[in-house]
Amino acid sequence: MPDSTPRSGPHKVLLTFYALFTLAAGARAAVQLLTQYDDAPVAYWLSAAAAVTYAAGWVAIRRASVGHTGFASVMLWVELAGVLTVGTLSLVQRHWFPDASVWSDYGIGYGFVPAVLPIAGLVWLHRQKQQEPARAGADR
Amino acid sequence: MQDALHTSLGQLTLVAAGYAALVAVVALVVTARRVPRPTWLDHMVWILELLLVVRAVAGVGSMLNGQRPEEMSAHVGYLVAAVCVLPIAMQSIAEDRGTWSSGVVTVAALAVAVVAVRLQMTWGHGA
Repeated sequence: MPDSTPRSGPHKVLLTFYALFTLAAGARAAVQLLTQYDDAPVAYWLSAAAAVTYAAGWVAIRRASVGHTGFASVMLWVELAGVLTVGTLSLVQRHWFPDASVWSDYGIGYGFVPAVLPIAGLVWLHRQKQQEPARAGADR
Repeated sequence: MQDALHTSLGQLTLVAAGYAALVAVVALVVTARRVPRPTWLDHMVWILELLLVVRAVAGVGSMLNGQRPEEMSAHVGYLVAAVCVLPIAMQSIAEDRGTWSSGVVTVAALAVAVVAVRLQMTWGHGA
């Protein structure tokens, strides 16, 4: 039986990043969509999508930290695909992005943390999955 | 950014940004040493929070006195974030003094340092 309260561990750091990026991307998208919508609507909507992805990623990692890894296995790949797709589009379709989005140039405006974050999450998830069967076995 | 040094509000913002960066570095070292989170690190965080509250009050004061930041909505957003980030981060590790809880402090302090710099940038007009 997995513990219902999240254990201490590296997931706490991941959760802090995801909470901060939900806030940063969400607030940025809200301000830009409301005050300068016509400047770069595609970029601003993609920022909003990034915010939703980070919120879902936060939930996914929280669930994975107590043993329910299913959602995180999907969500972290979705996030990685999102960063890579938007990052590549921002380089090859410059005219779609008159203003930057959160994932433009693979997250250059955020020190490339958006590109590193899903990879770090997947590494953590991989280790988490290796540990869980051992723990479940020990509890029995 | 060098204009920031000409006003007390700008100086306060730079001190907050610098101290936040220091807290982030210290917390990173503590994390790397893999020891339980020491209470003095918490004290450093709360001193930083105090600085940020003073900065926020001073900022609201300037705005009430008729000074307007160049990017109003973004600036107010950063002002709120500057005050809220550390208490929420500390709440999430309140009952966790493990090694990784210092990593949470590192990330939160780093975020606050960036927010402080952005506060200065969105204030604009030579602060």
